[in-house]
Amino acid sequence: MTRELNVIGKPVARADAVDKVTGAAHYTHDLGFPGMLHAALVLSPHASARIVSVDTEAAEATPGVRAILTGKSLDVHLGLYMQDKRILAKDVVRYQGEAVVAVAADTLEIANAACRLVRVDYEELPAVLDPCEAMEKGAHLVHPDLETYSHMEGVFFPKPKTNIAHHQKIRKGDVARASDDAEVTLTASFDNPPVQHVPMETHATIAQSLPQNRMEVWTSSQSPYTVRHLLSATFNLPHASIRVHVPYVGGGFGGKAGLGLEPLAYVLSKAADGRPVKVVATREQEFNTLPSRQGLHSTIEIGARADGKIVSLKSTYIWDAGAYADYGVNVGRAAAYSGAGPYSIDNCWIDSFVVYTNKIYGTAYRGFGHLEILWGIERAMDQMARKLNMDPAEFRRINLLKEGDTTITGEAFTSGHGKPQQCLDAVTEAIGWGTPSTPPDVPHKVRGKGIAMLHKAPAMPTYTSCSVVIKLDEDGGADILVSGVDYGQGTYTVLRQIAAEELSIPIEKTHITWECDTAFSPYDWQTVASRFAYMGGNAVIEASADCLGQLRSMASRALDVPSELLICNGGSVYPDGQPDRAISYATLALGYTFENGNSIGGPVIGHGRFIAKGLTHLDPETGQGLPAQYWTYGAHAVEVEVDTQTGEIEVLNIVSALDAGKVLNPKLCLGQVVGGVIQGLGSALWEGFVFSEDGRFLNPAFVDYKIPTAKDIPHRTQQIFLENPQPGGPYGARGVAEHPMISVPSAIGNALYDALGIEFMTLPLNYERILTRLRENAEAT
Amino acid sequence: MTHDIVFTVNGNPERASVPATMTLLDLLRDRLALTGTKEGCGIGECGACTVLLNGKPITACLMLAVEADGQAIETIEGEAVGGELSVLQQSFIDAGATQCGFCTPGMIMSAHGLLLRSPSPSHDEIVEAIAGNLCRCTGYEAIIAAIRLAADRLGGEPHDA
Amino acid sequence: MLGNFEYTRIRSIDEGCRALADAKEAGAVLAGGTDLLVEIRNGLKSPKLLVDCKALDDLHVLDTSPEKTTIGASVTLNRLIENRTFRGHYPALADALESIGTYQLRNRATVSGNICNGSPAADSAPVLLVLDATVHVHGVGGPRVIPIADFFAGVKRTALNPDEIVTSITLPVNAGRRTSFLKQQRIKGHDLAVVNAAGAYDPETREVRLAIGSCAPTPVLLDPIPMDVSDLAASINHAVSLVQRSVSPISDVRASAGYRNAVLPVLVTRILRELLDPGGEA
Repeated sequence: MTRELNVIGKPVARADAVDKVTGAAHYTHDLGFPGMLHAALVLSPHASARIVSVDTEAAEATPGVRAILTGKSLDVHLGLYMQDKRILAKDVVRYQGEAVVAVAADTLEIANAACRLVRVDYEELPAVLDPCEAMEKGAHLVHPDLETYSHMEGVFFPKPKTNIAHHQKIRKGDVARASDDAEVTLTASFDNPPVQHVPMETHATIAQSLPQNRMEVWTSSQSPYTVRHLLSATFNLPHASIRVHVPYVGGGFGGKAGLGLEPLAYVLSKAADGRPVKVVATREQEFNTLPSRQGLHSTIEIGARADGKIVSLKSTYIWDAGAYADYGVNVGRAAAYSGAGPYSIDNCWIDSFVVYTNKIYGTAYRGFGHLEILWGIERAMDQMARKLNMDPAEFRRINLLKEGDTTITGEAFTSGHGKPQQCLDAVTEAIGWGTPSTPPDVPHKVRGKGIAMLHKAPAMPTYTSCSVVIKLDEDGGADILVSGVDYGQGTYTVLRQIAAEELSIPIEKTHITWECDTAFSPYDWQTVASRFAYMGGNAVIEASADCLGQLRSMASRALDVPSELLICNGGSVYPDGQPDRAISYATLALGYTFENGNSIGGPVIGHGRFIAKGLTHLDPETGQGLPAQYWTYGAHAVEVEVDTQTGEIEVLNIVSALDAGKVLNPKLCLGQVVGGVIQGLGSALWEGFVFSEDGRFLNPAFVDYKIPTAKDIPHRTQQIFLENPQPGGPYGARGVAEHPMISVPSAIGNALYDALGIEFMTLPLNYERILTRLRENAEAT
Repeated sequence: MTHDIVFTVNGNPERASVPATMTLLDLLRDRLALTGTKEGCGIGECGACTVLLNGKPITACLMLAVEADGQAIETIEGEAVGGELSVLQQSFIDAGATQCGFCTPGMIMSAHGLLLRSPSPSHDEIVEAIAGNLCRCTGYEAIIAAIRLAADRLGGEPHDA
Repeated sequence: MLGNFEYTRIRSIDEGCRALADAKEAGAVLAGGTDLLVEIRNGLKSPKLLVDCKALDDLHVLDTSPEKTTIGASVTLNRLIENRTFRGHYPALADALESIGTYQLRNRATVSGNICNGSPAADSAPVLLVLDATVHVHGVGGPRVIPIADFFAGVKRTALNPDEIVTSITLPVNAGRRTSFLKQQRIKGHDLAVVNAAGAYDPETREVRLAIGSCAPTPVLLDPIPMDVSDLAASINHAVSLVQRSVSPISDVRASAGYRNAVLPVLVTRILRELLDPGGEA
């Protein structure tokens, strides 16, 4: 049955846009309260050192200083998956930039001045900076007490007395035999540096410790309920004693998932007699102190038959977790079960090691793990195609997952999974694959084309859930309460569209308030993993149905018609075929009143919920199981131009195709894809942390950490959406928010080979790296 | 020592007594509660704090409050007049040029400065005008389209509100 | 809030020089503030007094007379870039100024500030050097002039005495000389120079002046190099080898010495081709 849709699929403008273009949108950065204190931090200058002594005497004597804390007085560990971190460093510092002392004072100036008076004596310790070296026997242990840390049991497997925070295994078929039988083999290694999310609003939190062990928090976070839960677990407080507000959030990209500055703001408030304390990361702290995307060293071995069918894949992913691995372990896990790319491979062996080093620690970053592993996989696919003398697109077509295949964790690939090959076909057609680039007008420039596939599923616990409440207003409008966060994706607008569609009311009569408040908003796990429109959308459908049931029930008595004969349409309830007897939602919203004054029913409040269905833990030894609620597939094709004298690279065109299942709002969907592609371009060409030999971070500011500006976008971008419906998705939709970023570097790396005949294995593909390789190549030939 | 300064913000006369070390951004956000102007880096690299100084876009983090003495400042709060969105603001909405929104006020002020000096800007002029405003969400295409749309809607007239 | 300093808006240049002299080494001139305020915020400089000269009308003069051009110390970069006469006379300087920072920054920053900051990467420096600019300064003892070639003294150091304020920069008439500026960045968006370079060619003397930035502790000006247009390739090779002998690039977070060494000949060659063979093969 096809159903006519009135609001779904329409380019509805985002509801929050007016607040944002007028400056009326208040972010945590903008909030303040009477008596509020401001916090500043003393950061470690060393990558690895023992804290010998901390002298805060002079700082304490500064007028206006209300609290000074060190790690000594804070004996708690924090974490969602792996509780390996403290609020402030205690005994040792594990990365340069780690917070050691925190000061709360009347003004930020006083707090900063007091921080300058704090004397910390360090005794430098050996530092381990390279994750491969960190895996060697005898390497300096970043966490000698790893075995004492709590972690999510049965899901993550830290190895005591090593630097390995988690080892995820995937074992399918017989790789050894299959690779022996392979007619063509390839082994290649790839590297990705750590990268920052760079939300334009840095992390910010205000917390207040209240009487009776209560706490109130305002925070720039993707995760109001997870923040509340982790605060509850950390400080051993009842959940209901903690209230978390999330106002407008200036970008997150995964970096504001889990816990951030909230525990620090709370302990400072507690130490300052309950005055609210605001902690705002400076841009340098956003780079230096708060988490990044993990670096990765990957080694990929592919075996194939001469006809192009891949028979074996063996991959080792060594993640540079940095000093803490709370979220990093989950990145390593997700990357393993996605670790063969969107291909059907019968014999697969993957080891994904999440390894501690003395560097800034990692966390989720848009499409986590996938941009990183697919940098290697999709580059290796091109290299293998060349070994086979095959066209890279054709080689991929032979191996892409198709109906009837099983994934590397044993999941059956069905017609509901979307169509990876349609994505590939769409981008190759749009870029003119097979037709050489038009030569540039100057001899020192060359052009090339490249393609890459991408895929990702939401990486989340098997029990991930969310809920929605819809209250009908006196005017028949719908107030939707959620606690997933819309930090720019546009999900609230999509949820409003779904409510409008389901309730059959105009979009203008739906409403979501831009502040999540755990005191009033119903539960949602976290706003991550491209799952909010899918899960929240399903919950809105259920909550709408609940509202409609209540409306029908009252209308049934009011009209004396069995409720199953009533239809809800255009904001009214009426017997099918008798719109003249309609009762408006407004008449029913608070309960129905008969002519004689008798009243029935009551205020209409619907609730809906959704929980991940059918997911299983992965077998610790084989990785077999069902990790994914759904998969989203896509492809990019790019054309680049390189100045062979300076190494400058210019992206002429990026074509992206994603199988969205159903585009719920084309305008917002497009915004996600264009924005994601440009973020991927940043990872491809410019971004990456640079460290000194002793582990100091050399580019922690926009002066030397460059993200794309308006001058740096491609000449052209094209977006193609496929709509092969997702069973169980709202209107057949699946998530697409993270995906556009994934594999942009891979496609550009492949295009660089086409242009230059040089294999790039390391990101970013900056001008210097390109020119260096060009010159090495020229010397070699 | 503090300095007494007189200036206008969005046409309104203001007086303030400010320490030498206060930036214009602090003055706007902390004293005048005009929090539409954002701080993204504090070193003039991101453009989130862009305001107009006598009609020209500048970053408020790199100007001292005391330097505002005698000057006219315009912020995002002055962009809509009498509750009516400016052509630029409406164009940003229509073109889908805002996502998280944190860069949006600075972006609009940069665009406003552009349309004052160049009512029918070329593509390159638009790009040059906003290249100092970092946006991590949109990929800039929709923002460039929004400014083009606003210029078209204004029909070559300078943007003055 | 930034650092810990006092501020004075001077009403005469002498007042400013005296204030700087009284502050000993702890005074700093506030021009556009786009370098100074960042350095204060980052703790790299901690002046006790900022002397703001922007109330002095004389320092806002921009005079593009046919004989010489005077750029007052308070003239913003955008005023120069958007001045058609100025761009007509000094296209390479306009290009160099336009490559500095962001549009917003250029509404505050000044050429004087760019050179007084003393950065080896100052983008205005190579063009000012090949144009033989003159820096006019004023101290407690009165005015003096400093040829631009003598202005840069080392990384973040200039020939200015602590009591001296730059009042203007003058450029000689540029009749007949062709100039060109190129800058290698890491990204098209605002960036500091990895290498920058400028050239000026005088068709009468058939000599070229070349200046290079970001490849030595100061911007480097080479002696005039005779060019033989009948054997351009040889002349360019010769000029490139002279350039390479004059500089000593280092590796830093922006680029390796190797990359600078690789890009420098490319920029110099492109500049010389543009100056001597405009429209020819790049």
